[in-house]
Formats: sequence, C-alpha cells, structure tokens
Amino acid sequence: MTKMTLKDLEAIKQKQNAPDRNWIKVGFSTCGIAAGAREVYDTLVEESRKHNADVEIKKCGCVGMCSAEPLVEVHVKNMPTVFYGKVDKEAATKIMEKHVCGKMLVNDRIYDLKLK
Amino acid sequence: MGKTVYLKDTAITGKDRTRDFYGVFLGILREKGLESEVQLVRVADIGIYGQGIVVRILPEGFLYTNVQDADIPAIITESLIGGKPIEGKSSLHPSRQLRIVLRNCGIIDPESIEDYIAQDGYQALAKVLGSYKPEKVAEEMKASGLRGRGGAGFPTGAKWEITRKAAGTQKYIICNGDEGDPGAYMDRSVLEGDPHSVIEGMIIGAYAIGASKGYFYIRAEYPLAIERIEKAIKQCRDRGILGQNILGSSFSLDLEIRLGAGAFVCGEETALIASIEGKRGYPSPRPPFPSIKGLWGKPTCINNVETLANIPVIILKGAAWFAGIGTESSKGTKVFAVTGKVKNSGLVEVPMGTAIEDIVYGICGGALSGKSVKAIQTGGPSGGVIPKEFFQTKVDYESLQKMGSIMGSGGMIVMDEDDCMVDIAKFYLGFCVDESCGKCAPCRIGGTQMLRLLVRVTDGEGTQKDLEQLEQISVAMQKASLCGLGQTAPNPVMSTLHYYRAEYDAHVNKKKCPACKCEHLIRFMIMSEKCVKCGMCFKACPVGAISGNRESGYLIDQTKCTRCGQCFEVCKPRAISRS
Repeated sequence: MTKMTLKDLEAIKQKQNAPDRNWIKVGFSTCGIAAGAREVYDTLVEESRKHNADVEIKKCGCVGMCSAEPLVEVHVKNMPTVFYGKVDKEAATKIMEKHVCGKMLVNDRIYDLKLK
Repeated sequence: MGKTVYLKDTAITGKDRTRDFYGVFLGILREKGLESEVQLVRVADIGIYGQGIVVRILPEGFLYTNVQDADIPAIITESLIGGKPIEGKSSLHPSRQLRIVLRNCGIIDPESIEDYIAQDGYQALAKVLGSYKPEKVAEEMKASGLRGRGGAGFPTGAKWEITRKAAGTQKYIICNGDEGDPGAYMDRSVLEGDPHSVIEGMIIGAYAIGASKGYFYIRAEYPLAIERIEKAIKQCRDRGILGQNILGSSFSLDLEIRLGAGAFVCGEETALIASIEGKRGYPSPRPPFPSIKGLWGKPTCINNVETLANIPVIILKGAAWFAGIGTESSKGTKVFAVTGKVKNSGLVEVPMGTAIEDIVYGICGGALSGKSVKAIQTGGPSGGVIPKEFFQTKVDYESLQKMGSIMGSGGMIVMDEDDCMVDIAKFYLGFCVDESCGKCAPCRIGGTQMLRLLVRVTDGEGTQKDLEQLEQISVAMQKASLCGLGQTAPNPVMSTLHYYRAEYDAHVNKKKCPACKCEHLIRFMIMSEKCVKCGMCFKACPVGAISGNRESGYLIDQTKCTRCGQCFEVCKPRAISRS
C-alpha cells in the first residue's frame, strides 16, 4: 500500500463522513462479547437479510455502560438514535422488525445514555 | 421528525408504576388523536434515579421529574403540541460526563483505521510533524497541565522534557498497559475500543522525546486488547503512519508489543523495564529514573494508556482548552471504572473536580437493590476507602490524597452496608502479599505479618495490641519499601483503621463483626417462632448443615455450617437470624 500523506487523511475523512445511512452498532469489547454480543450481532445480520433491511451493521468498542451489555446503538433516519441494553436474541429480532423496518421504538429496552 | 416521549418510573422503593403511567398517557394521547404522531416509549433506564416518574421529550430533550397523572395534559399541550418547556418544571439535565479519552469508544469500529481517521484521527500527528518542533510539543503538554493517569500524577510535559534533555541518541517510549488493580479496566476498554488514539499519542510522545522505538507493554490477560493493538499497528505500518518517514516527514518510529505475564509489580516502571529486557520483574531503586537511565540503560519515557489517549485531543484543541477543564491542580478528565455494589457498573469519564456523590448516585444510580452505600474504595491496593459521609469530596489528585486515598489508575469500588471494612483491608493486603516480588524485606515480611494480624482480628482472636502493631508495621513499610507496591500496600489498612476504628474495635473487644461478614464471628440460627417450615433453607444449604422436615421444623448444625449465608438470603419470612 502507498504511504499516506496529510491529503490522504482528508480524503478518507470526507469519504467516511459523507452519507447519512441507517446503521446499527454492536458493542464488541470484552464486556459486550462476554455478555453475548456475538449472538446478537449474528441475529441482527441474519434478520436484516431476512427483511432485506437498508441498514449497515457494525462493530464498535465499549461505550462504558458495561452492566447493560450487550448494548446496541440504532440510528434510523428521522428517528432518535437510541441505545438498547441487555439485548438478547429475542430483542435483536424485535429491534430489526419493529425499529428498523417498522420505525417504532421498542419498549422496555432503551437505555437513555447521555454521553456527550 | 415526530415527537418521542420516554417514560420511566425511577422511584427506588415500591412497585414500578411505569406500565400504569404509560397506559394513562397513551389514553390521553388517543383522546386528543395524537397517538400516530407521538411515539410513547417505556425505557429501561433514563439516566436519572430516585425522582419518581420521569418523562423526557425528544428531540428537544425537555425533562420532567416526579410527574403525576394530572400533569400529563399540560405536558401534551405545552411541550408536545407547543414545542416549549413548561416554565419552572422542565430541566434539560445536561450530562455530567465529558468524554475526551473515551471520545471514540463505542463510536468507531476499533479495527478500522478509516473510522478513526474520520473522527480527526492522526490529524494531531500531522499537525505536530508538519509544524511543531519537539520542544514545542513538550511545552504544549506542560501548558495543558496533563498529569500521568497511571496513578502517581507526574506531569507528562515535564517527563517528556526530562527524557528529551537526557544524554544519549537512542531513546525509548513505552506505553504502560499493565493494568493490575482489582476492579480497574479503563485501559483495557481504551485499548479495545480506540487503539489508534493510544498509538497516535505514542507517536507524538516519541517525536517529542526523540525516540525511534516504542513498546506496548500489555498484560497477557487482555487478549482482545492485544489483538486490536496488533491489527492497528499493522494498519499504521501499511499506510506509512509507523515506520520510516512517518506521513512523509523525516521522523521514524516503530512500535512493538511486549506481554506482561501476570505480575502486578510489573506495572511499576522499573520492574516493567526489567520485564521487557527479559529479566525477572524486579523493581530497582530510583534514582536513576527511567527518563535518564531506563530500558537497556537508555533514556525511556513510560506513559499510561489513558495519558496517551488524551494527547491527540490536546494537540488538536490546544493546551488552553484542556487547561480550562478540571481543577486548579488537576486538569482534564478522569475515567473511572465503577464496580461493586452499584446499580450501573461501567466506565465513567468526568471532569476533574466532580464530586464523588455525582459519580456514585448521579451517574451510576447508587447502590444495588435497596441497600445503602457505605463507602467507596479508590486506587486499588494502593488506595484507601472514602466513607459516604465524605462523598462531597471532589475527585482530583490532591483531594483524594487528603482523604487518605489516592486517585490511582481509576478503579472505584462501591461497597454497601454488608461489607466489613476489616475484611476489605484483608482482601487488599492479601493481594499485595501475593503480588510482592520479595526483593525487599519491608514489603515481603511486613506484608505477611500484617496479613497474619488481620486474620487474627477477623477470626476473633485479635487484641488492641495487634491493632497498634498493624499501625507500626504500616509506617515501617511505607518508609522502607523499595517500590510503590510496598510503600502503598498498607494504605487500605491505614485508611480503614482511620475511618472505621469502631469496626476494628468491635472485632477485637466484642468479638463481633458489625457487617456480619467475618465467618468466624457470626452464626446463623433459625428462630422457631417465625419459621413457617417451608424448607427453603434446607434446600439452599450447600453443605447439608440444616436438618429436619416440614413437620418438626429445621435446625442448623453449627459444627457443619460454613456461614455462607445462603439460608439467610432465601428465607422469605426472615426467620433466620444472623449475629
């Protein structure tokens, strides 16, 4: 690979930050994985295929609320971006069906984390 | 975007009324024909505790606490339809957290360098290499007031300057990721969640001190952190961010990983250096400090993971910005790993000078299930306890020291009324005795003897003379030990003796453990007048110490009982006494 310069950094930044897409992030640090993030991730991927959902599923580090892991952050256009905590297979299915496809937030699962 | 309403009953005691309230709210929305425009959601946690039913309106963020059914129509007309807060009743409740170190944790994919670059990653490095002289980088750090986050709080800028000025052409930079304090895992999370920020901080540090080689020292117990740092280093090498002529400049640096093999003492910098050199992890006397004579006798700068993660942001946003956060002597933020008997355990990053109560109650929601918090322990085995009476103390290096504890690496363990302070002191001292390398006598012998005395106290054989002796040995260890491990090992004992002398006295004089924790000083008995003969205790007892049947009732055989307390926990009518 060619060596990067300052210009390349700018180019990558532009490219990464460009489009506003729907995404889901699953906490994939030790705390998340120990609590079952892998199963949640796999379920989300499988369900998104099933529903042919327009959403990118990504992995990320620990946001800090380790007691609520597995944590899943969901961003769908025209809806508030929310964290779902203690997500299991069932909840992951619901998130895909109700939130991503049905544009309805899922009850009793949201952790209102104020990180900023 | 339509409106969203979050609901949650945050009352600590009593029945959870969230569902009932949800029903009432939804009913009123339906009456007004708004149910399709407003999304009503019951949430699992709203970030506020003990303030009745809490309602939050999004996207504006209006917040109402202690809401009654009668308040609903006003909230609907004013805030949902009118889009305004109700005067005097709404608060915006800004976050108490400020995320500098954890800025990217949970935001980016840690295995993607592009994700990091998109969050201004490596911009600070480009700025430094493009327009800063090494001296200016160290100056900037000094001006920012950043102090080492590993616990001791040595000013980072000064450390860099000393290493830079030290004689010699070959210099090294080391990232200390040997996080060993029980209950502390901030560094692991940063390494796992945002590895590139640490690498960037390290390259900037290496440039400032003139190092061409750097080492990550990470404990082998963190396999995922190691894997992610390995990947990140490879990505950097492939893209010319590490190696020869970084980002086209004349500066070159390579990084390697060394694994710690599980010794706590290797977090001490001289022992860490010995470990990297392939020697046994023994500390050596300082001076000479590693900045003058470190790895293979060359000037070496050792920085903690959290310290390094701060650096890119300081360079980008400026020293003055960073110096504006925190207190007079402690700048910036600190990440705490809050664990123990607390509702929300996890990582919390707050500006220096935040009160302990804001962290324990405000952010973490206080004690677990109805118990009350008794104290916190900070600084791991080198720290001390802070009783809840002093929770208005602000967290910074000096204030915590004044309280007889230390900032430490950032472990904060919450203890409730069921925790015995003598037992806590015994636990931490036992940890240090296990981890003592044995090189110097004060630590090796002093620690063992103190532990012996503490065991006597918790076994109910202690005397007042033992307590005096504990204090004497503590002072000797603090003064005469070779490294930080031995010098600070008595701190948990000293601090619990200071704040909880009465508990020690109860163990010694009355042979009683007030928290009912020390197994030799308590006994469990079934009170026949309260017993309903349900047999739950009989089933729960793991050692078969409970005999009897549902007709005649049950009895605990004190010779077989191990005082595990399981019968006490399962007994619904509270017919088992613990004394």
